[in-house]
Amino acid sequence: MRSLLPAVAEQLFRDIQKAYQETSQIPDDLLIALKFVFGPCALQALNLVDQHSVTCLSSSSGRKAFQVIGGSGRLYTCFVSCHYCPCPAFAYTVLRRNEGPLCKHILAVYLCQAMAVTQEESVSDQQMSAVLSGTALP
Amino acid sequence: MTDILTGVFRTFTSKTDVKKDLTVVPASACSALLLGDSSISRSVLLLSAVTAASELGVRVVFFAQTQIQSLPVSLKKCVPSLSPESLKKIKFSYPRTLEELLQQVASLHESQNTSPTPPSLIIVDRLEGYLGGTHSGDKSSAAHLSALLCDSAAFLTQILKERSPSSAPCRLIASYRSEVDSDYAGGESSATDHILDVLDRYFQMRCTLDRDRSYEAAAAGLQELWHVYLSASSITEDCTTDSETRPAVAKEWQLLISADGSMEFKMA
Repeated sequence: MRSLLPAVAEQLFRDIQKAYQETSQIPDDLLIALKFVFGPCALQALNLVDQHSVTCLSSSSGRKAFQVIGGSGRLYTCFVSCHYCPCPAFAYTVLRRNEGPLCKHILAVYLCQAMAVTQEESVSDQQMSAVLSGTALP
Repeated sequence: MTDILTGVFRTFTSKTDVKKDLTVVPASACSALLLGDSSISRSVLLLSAVTAASELGVRVVFFAQTQIQSLPVSLKKCVPSLSPESLKKIKFSYPRTLEELLQQVASLHESQNTSPTPPSLIIVDRLEGYLGGTHSGDKSSAAHLSALLCDSAAFLTQILKERSPSSAPCRLIASYRSEVDSDYAGGESSATDHILDVLDRYFQMRCTLDRDRSYEAAAAGLQELWHVYLSASSITEDCTTDSETRPAVAKEWQLLISADGSMEFKMA
């Protein structure tokens, strides 16, 4: 998911990546910046990260997609190259009200990627197709 | 014959120009949303498919809700030397519902679709047919379909580059006709079409086809005269950082359709 975010957010993820590599934690100033840039989403996304909710699925074709387990236990599929989440918050806040570029699930994906704590899982090509089209059973 | 051939070359040249312009757009994949009357959109989509297959020699997948029984007259006039071989490079698919379309697009990464070579152009005719009749909650469906199309094109670009580093990215062209205003001419009325707002978020370029009904067009003996505007989408994720590299001004062509059905593009 490159060049989809404002430069300030991109820089923030790079800083988090560097800090987390060195100290295995996110310093307070970066947490404050995260809250400042993404608002209430930030805390919820960090919760999802703590709960290891983000999995990167990959199939033998090389196709990848992210699955995030929401607070309610529902699985949300997010794409690798553009912002989309089937959650109600994305439909309302992002698509309808145009308030910000992402929901807590997509932010959790960015954070997990920066912190290198994404779970990995292999699926078959057919399973991947079903996940991408939203026809897979949760 | 030469005048027809020059016409064809001009058509192809301007079509290739369109594609070159699109490759300037800095994301890994190039996507364009074609807005206009569905009959002319379909002709332009078919012309793009045929140009890509015959001139560029690449594979094309063409999704449409209704079967294409025969090529439009305008296309046959434009491409008189159309060979069955190049038509074979175009795979026509006819998903009837949004769910079927999603499933077919989602399976483009599977080996039966990527061997021997993956498609370099994905075309979807009449998105409104798949998204139409939907209530306001279905902005999410429009977003899902657009995101899946863009993500699939990005993935196929990656595969194409892996197999041959010099290959061009996989492009995406879809047509959409706004139900809000059929004589849609860009700008203001987009605010009222919520589906279009969502599509604009994912498609990088917008190509608007606007029919010229003025007296001059009729007086010139033309069957139809269309203005073709190519512009960066109005509300692509407004936080993008690369606004400087996007084409700042809209590009304009004219599409002339003569009484005999032949199509010709001209720089305006």
